[in-house]
Amino acid sequence: MQATKSFEQAFLRHLLRGFRLSAVSYKSMSLQERKSAIKLSADVAMASARGSRKWTRGLITKLSREDEHRSFLRLILGTEYGRRTKPRHGSWKIPRSKKIVRRSLRVCSRRKNNLRAPHGVKSGVLARTLVEKRTHALKRLVPGGESLDGCSLLDEALDYVISLRAQVDLMQKLLTTFEAPKLRALSKCTLPERKASFVGK
Amino acid sequence: MQCLRAPLSDLSALEGQRACAEWQQPGQEQSDYHPYDADYCMQSLCPVETAFRALHGCNGGGENENHGNVHGSNDCFSNAWPDIVSSMHCPVVGAAASVEETSVNASSSSSSRKRKSENNRRSKENSGGSDGKDDSNCKRIKEETGVGAATPEAKRPNKRKEESADASKENDKAPKSDYIHVRARRGQATDSHSLAERVRRERISQRMKYLQDLVPGCSKITGKAGMLDEIINYVQSLQRQVEFLSMKLAAVNPMMDINIDSLFGGREINPTCKSASIPMIGMSSELLDQSYLQFGSLQHDMFMGSSDLLLRPNVNPAAAVSDTSLGSCLNVNGSSVWNTNLQNVYGVEFQLGRGTALPFQSLQGNLLPNNLKMEM
Repeated sequence: MQATKSFEQAFLRHLLRGFRLSAVSYKSMSLQERKSAIKLSADVAMASARGSRKWTRGLITKLSREDEHRSFLRLILGTEYGRRTKPRHGSWKIPRSKKIVRRSLRVCSRRKNNLRAPHGVKSGVLARTLVEKRTHALKRLVPGGESLDGCSLLDEALDYVISLRAQVDLMQKLLTTFEAPKLRALSKCTLPERKASFVGK
Repeated sequence: MQCLRAPLSDLSALEGQRACAEWQQPGQEQSDYHPYDADYCMQSLCPVETAFRALHGCNGGGENENHGNVHGSNDCFSNAWPDIVSSMHCPVVGAAASVEETSVNASSSSSSRKRKSENNRRSKENSGGSDGKDDSNCKRIKEETGVGAATPEAKRPNKRKEESADASKENDKAPKSDYIHVRARRGQATDSHSLAERVRRERISQRMKYLQDLVPGCSKITGKAGMLDEIINYVQSLQRQVEFLSMKLAAVNPMMDINIDSLFGGREINPTCKSASIPMIGMSSELLDQSYLQFGSLQHDMFMGSSDLLLRPNVNPAAAVSDTSLGSCLNVNGSSVWNTNLQNVYGVEFQLGRGTALPFQSLQGNLLPNNLKMEM
């Protein structure tokens, strides 16, 4: 599965805009600051190019928690900032009390065990706890995933993986674009004279 | 059993053609919003995918609102999936449909009414005749009460799952009221909980299949826990890659400083800069796009060949070059002239240092309008 070209183009556009916006103070930044600025604009570009999904909203919310990012976000997203961070009506999640959920899980698991393995095999429980542990880990990884149930979590993870892949691809290409001249300069020494003559015209 | 399956796909095709037309219209501004629509489904499958989308779209209400309802609403499709899987390329369509489904559900209003689509009505009519020999129960999921009204006739234990697919009755039968009917499979328990659970499990296994296609090296792993493990590792590695690449980009940055300052900074910091630099701003982004879109080898000769273009004297002020034109230019498929320009241009800049950046600004400014003329 691949991200579409329009997504990648929108992504690149937003990325360059983000670079431009944060580039004003580039010279004075240390490496760490530059790296986090680049990462920030990459993330915001990915989220805004994708549109409105659970994980994009979660990502933007997470990024806007820090104050210094907020102005940047507002610049980039503009009017969409408020729209993106506000949850939509359809995605209202049921307020769940942990105690009740736990109790119902226990009941369900007990019933399942009684039906399936009445002779006391507890492998099902083991498998389920493994799966639960990993589900929790995935929830922590995917932005905005804490409040999702298993199915939609997998949906969002699918989407997120595709966008991440596109992001990595894009950044790699940017990197080679920026580095290629250096490499070429190292390899081809005849380049300057040609260019010089060209410039002279 | 075959006759049950056929109408569904036929109607899907019919629906799809209708839905395709109406879906394509609000195309442009949704192209970013739903970036995966058109490209995910292969062309021949588009009708089916939009059919499913349209059908899913009819089901209002968020997924999280009422668990039982959601499962019920998706029953017809989740049950139908195994049948249609083999004939159509399931992961592509399914992913798009599932992606669409969640987005549609998220964006729809919070009405809890589930409208029955014509598809289900028609399939009900078609399969009405075969109802008589049904020995498993037809179950209704009422959305108001959320309680299944199944008659506890044949309660088989849960152990006998995965009976032959032929024995499963897939179709919904729904009158125009908002009931969603689920057929229990032959040889399976029919109480509401197990049915809902089975539906949920099938959906999860579907998603797992798509993720299996996505994550490399997962074709051998079959268990849910192992798959989740792989997914987690993959996501973590992608995130780490992003960090690493951003670090590298920051390290490249002395070059990027030059680029960004001269290319973009001129616009932000100094609005009274030469007009020549303005076209370059839009164009350099363009160049990056072109290099991105056609990331080919560096062809030095082509650059020399294109120098004629560059040497044309008129500098089009093109003050109107802004993000909008950038956006329009993004859709332009670059000619071969574009192929080499980025690397060569930047190469020249780096070669000659910042002092000579200025003449190149004007040259690059030429490049933009020329190519605009070429392409438009």
